[in-house]
Amino acid sequence: MFWRNNILAVLLLCCTWCLATSEEFHEALTFRPLQDGRLATRFTFTTLLRGAYPRDPSTLQEEDESQHYAIFPLALGQVLREYAVTELHLTLNAGKWDYDHWGYPDEPGVGTGAELWAWMGESAARSVDERWKGLRNALSGQFCASLGSLDEQRTTSPELTFRPEGSLPQWGTTHQLRHGTLPSEHVCTENLTPFLKLLPCKSLTGIASLLNPHRLFDADWHGLGVHVRYLENEGIEVRLSFQSVFDPVRYSNGRRDWSLRSVFDRVIDRSCPIAHSSEIRVAIPKEETAVAITPDSYTTHAGFVYFNVSNASKPLDISMSWPDEQKFEYATVSSAVPLTHVSVRRTLKGSSQSRGRLSVSITNHMPITIQTSYLESMPWLLQFYLHSLQIYSNGVSRDDLISIVSYIPSVPHVRPTLFQAILTLPPKSTLHLSMDVIKPFLRYTEHPPDAQRGWDLPPAVLVPLLHSNSSTLDPGLSNPPSGFEQLRLPRRMYTPVLLVDLATPDFSMPYNVIIMSCTLIALIFGMVFNLLTRKFTLIRVSPEPK
Amino acid sequence: MDFGLVYPALVAGRLLLAFAPLPDALKHDHQLSSPLTSYPRLQEGVYLFQHGIDPYSGGLFRHSPLLLSLFSTALPLNKFTSACLWTACDAISAWALVKIWRARQRVSQSSRDSLIAAIYLLNPYLLLPTLALSTSTIENMLFLLSLMFASQGQSSPSLLALALLVQLSLPSAIFIVPMILLLLSDPVSRLASPREFNTYLSSILAKLGLWWYFFTEMFDHFRPFFLMVFSAHLLIYVLPVCLKFQHDILYATYILAGVYATFKPYPTLSDPGLFISLISLFPETYQYLRYPIVTTLLHLHSALLLPLFHHLWLSQGTGNANFFYASTLVFGVSNGAALLDAIWAGLRIAVGNLPEGYELIQK
Repeated sequence: MFWRNNILAVLLLCCTWCLATSEEFHEALTFRPLQDGRLATRFTFTTLLRGAYPRDPSTLQEEDESQHYAIFPLALGQVLREYAVTELHLTLNAGKWDYDHWGYPDEPGVGTGAELWAWMGESAARSVDERWKGLRNALSGQFCASLGSLDEQRTTSPELTFRPEGSLPQWGTTHQLRHGTLPSEHVCTENLTPFLKLLPCKSLTGIASLLNPHRLFDADWHGLGVHVRYLENEGIEVRLSFQSVFDPVRYSNGRRDWSLRSVFDRVIDRSCPIAHSSEIRVAIPKEETAVAITPDSYTTHAGFVYFNVSNASKPLDISMSWPDEQKFEYATVSSAVPLTHVSVRRTLKGSSQSRGRLSVSITNHMPITIQTSYLESMPWLLQFYLHSLQIYSNGVSRDDLISIVSYIPSVPHVRPTLFQAILTLPPKSTLHLSMDVIKPFLRYTEHPPDAQRGWDLPPAVLVPLLHSNSSTLDPGLSNPPSGFEQLRLPRRMYTPVLLVDLATPDFSMPYNVIIMSCTLIALIFGMVFNLLTRKFTLIRVSPEPK
Repeated sequence: MDFGLVYPALVAGRLLLAFAPLPDALKHDHQLSSPLTSYPRLQEGVYLFQHGIDPYSGGLFRHSPLLLSLFSTALPLNKFTSACLWTACDAISAWALVKIWRARQRVSQSSRDSLIAAIYLLNPYLLLPTLALSTSTIENMLFLLSLMFASQGQSSPSLLALALLVQLSLPSAIFIVPMILLLLSDPVSRLASPREFNTYLSSILAKLGLWWYFFTEMFDHFRPFFLMVFSAHLLIYVLPVCLKFQHDILYATYILAGVYATFKPYPTLSDPGLFISLISLFPETYQYLRYPIVTTLLHLHSALLLPLFHHLWLSQGTGNANFFYASTLVFGVSNGAALLDAIWAGLRIAVGNLPEGYELIQK
C-alpha cells in the first residue's frame, strides 16, 4: 500500500536528500566598545552541516560510512568521526579577562591557556578514555598546541558545570564528559594558521582577511575557540571564533576612535563568495556622547548597527569615532558600575613552600540571592584540607551557604582534585571562602625546566544560577548591568590562574646525594656487622707475673 | 623521690601543657609528624569519612583504619579530647616503661622509677610530637605496652598490642621476632597484616630520615630497585641482633628500636625519642659506653639545626634543600652513633668483669 503513491514520494525524498546534506557557512564580526576605552571584537565562522548526525560510538568497530564535505572542514570532521565525538569545545586564550570592566564575554570560555572538553557517548568497543586520549593527540597535532599533555593527571569530569551546549543524540548509551585545562599554554601564530586553514575562504577573502596575527596577538586579551555541537533537527555545527580585546587609546594618542585599518591594519577587499551571510555588527555605546560611524550603509536594530559585507562597497573600512571628545577620560573607581552579577577574586595566601591557604571572595552585586556553582579542578600539586573550609559572609561564619555536591580527592601522580559545590550568595554582600592546602615535594624528574617559576593552577569556574525564589527583578534598579536579561541562562565565569611556588631540590646534586646517603647507611651497617659478627678474645697486656 | 608523687605531677604538667595555647605550626611541622602520623591528615580523613567520601580514595589520608574507626565512632576529634587522649597515651607509656624496669629488676618498686618516668615524659623528642598531636605517640604506647606484657610473660595482651602496632605502622614488623622470643612461647603464626606498603614511598613529604632526599634525586628507572634495597635493609637486622643478644632479648628489642629509628621510611622525632628513653632501662651499660658525649653533642647539634634549616628552606626561602639534607645526615650519624655504642655496651657487659692485666678485643 505504501508503494502506491510512491513516485512523488521518491522524488521528494531525493530532493530532500540533496538538500538535507547541504552545508551553510556564515561569518560575522562583532564590535563592542567597552567602558574603559577598549574594544572587544569577536569573529564567528559558523559552518552548519545540515542533516548530519554524529557517529554512533557503537559502530566504532566497523568501517565508517564515507562523508562528503564541501565547506565543512575535512580535518576536523575526520577527527570527530574517528573518535565519535558528539560535542567538542577547544579554547586557546592568553591574558586575563577582566569581568569587572569588560562585562561578560560573548563566548563564555575565557579561561587562560588551553581548555578542551568533549561529550562522548560510551562504547564497549573503545572506551571513552581511550578516545579522549586519541582526540587530545589529534587536536594537538591539528592546532600545534601541546594538548597531548592533558593526560589523566589533568582530566576531570565536572558534569555540573560544563553542560552540553547542543543536544545529545539518543543512542541508548550515556554520554560522558571529559575536561582538561593547561593554564600555562601559550597562544601564537602557530595556532592561528591551522585555525585559518579550517575556513572555506581561508584568510584570503571575507571577514577572515582581517585576521592579522601581528595585531591580534598584540591585543590585551585574545583567544581562539573551536566549538562543535550537534543541533537536533539541524545538523552538526562547527563554530570557529576568535575573540580579542584591543586598546585603541594605546594605538592613537589618547583617543578611543577606531577603524578596521587602525585595529587590524587591514580592510576587507573582497567578500567570501561561499558565505551564506557575512555581516559586521557594531554595538552602539549606551552613553550620551555622540558617536559617528562610517560608512553610512548600515541598518540599525536593537542597539546594534549591521553592515552587510557582501553588498557593501569595497574596500570596506568601518570606523567609529567620538567627534566631541578630545581625549578619552577613564572612569574613576567610584563611578564604575559592576558589569556582571558577581565578581570573583581567588588568591593563594601564605609564604611557606609547605602549605598555604586558598582564598576565594565572591561579591554579589544584585539585590537578590544568587546561587552559583563553584568548580575547582586542581591538579594534585595542591591538596585540599576540606575540614579546614571556612565560609564568612560579612564577618559571620555561615556554613549553610555552601553545599558540597561532589569531592573527588586527588591521588598524587594519578588524578586531580575535583571539587564542585553550590554557593548561596546573599544580596549585595561578599562571601569569603578559604581552605588550607598543602604543597607537595616533587621528584627530581617531575619538575619542569624552569622549576623556580612555579606551577600554573587552572581557573575556578563559577556558573551563576538564578535563585528559585526570586523571579521578578526590581524595575527601579538604576544602571542594571549589561547582559541583565540573560540572568536566566547560566554563563560560566572563570577566575584568573594562580601560580604556586613549590619547594625544589638541588638539581645539581643527584649523584652527591646518592653517594652520601649510601655512604652513611653503609658505614652504620658495616660497623654493626663488625660488632655483631666478631668474637671476643682476651689478650694479656701486662706481662705474666713471674 | 617517691614515684607516687612524681608521676602524677608530671602527668598533670603534661596535661596543662597540652591545653596551653600552642602555636598551630607545631601540628604542621615535618620533624614532629610525618604524612603517616600527621594530625591534620587524621582530621581530614575523619571529616571525609563522616561526609560519605572514602578517605582512602585520595592520597592524603594514610593512617590506619583502626584510627579512622576510633575517631569517627568512639571518640570525637576535637581540641579537648585529643589533648586528653594524647597525654593519656604518654602517661600510659611512661607507666609501662616503669613496669618494664621493675620486671627486669624483679622488684615491685625501686628508687629509679620516678627517674625513668621523668626521662620519658620530659624527653623533648617525645614531648614535642605529643604536643603536635602526632599519632606516633599512640604507636609508642602500643610498643611499650607490648613490651611490658611480654616482660611480664602475658602473651595475649602483648601480642594484641603488637598486632595493633603493626596495623598502625608496618615497619614495626621488625619487632615481631624479638617480642615472640621474649614471650618464650610456642611458635605463633606471624601476625603481620599488611594493609598497604608504606615502603613504596609514594609521598616524599617526610623529611627527617635518610630516605626522602635519596628518593627525590633518584631517577625513575632505579626507584623500584632502591625501594626494595632499603626495605630489605631494615629487615636484615632482625635475625642477627636477636641471635647475638639471645641472652637478653629485651636488649635486642632496644637495639632494634634504634635500628627502627634510624632506617625507617617515614621517621619523626618520636622514634629516636623512644630509643633514647629506653636507655634508662639499662643503667648497667653506662660504664661501657665509649663515646656518650659525642653522641649527645651530635644529637644536640642536629636537633638545633633541623628546625632552623627547615624554616630557612621552606618558610624563609633563603636556604637550600641541601642545608636541611645535611642536617638530616648529621641526625642519621647521631642515631647511628647511639646505636653502635649501645650494641658495643650490650656486648661488653655480657662478658663481665675482666681479670687484672687483660684487655678485651674483637677479632
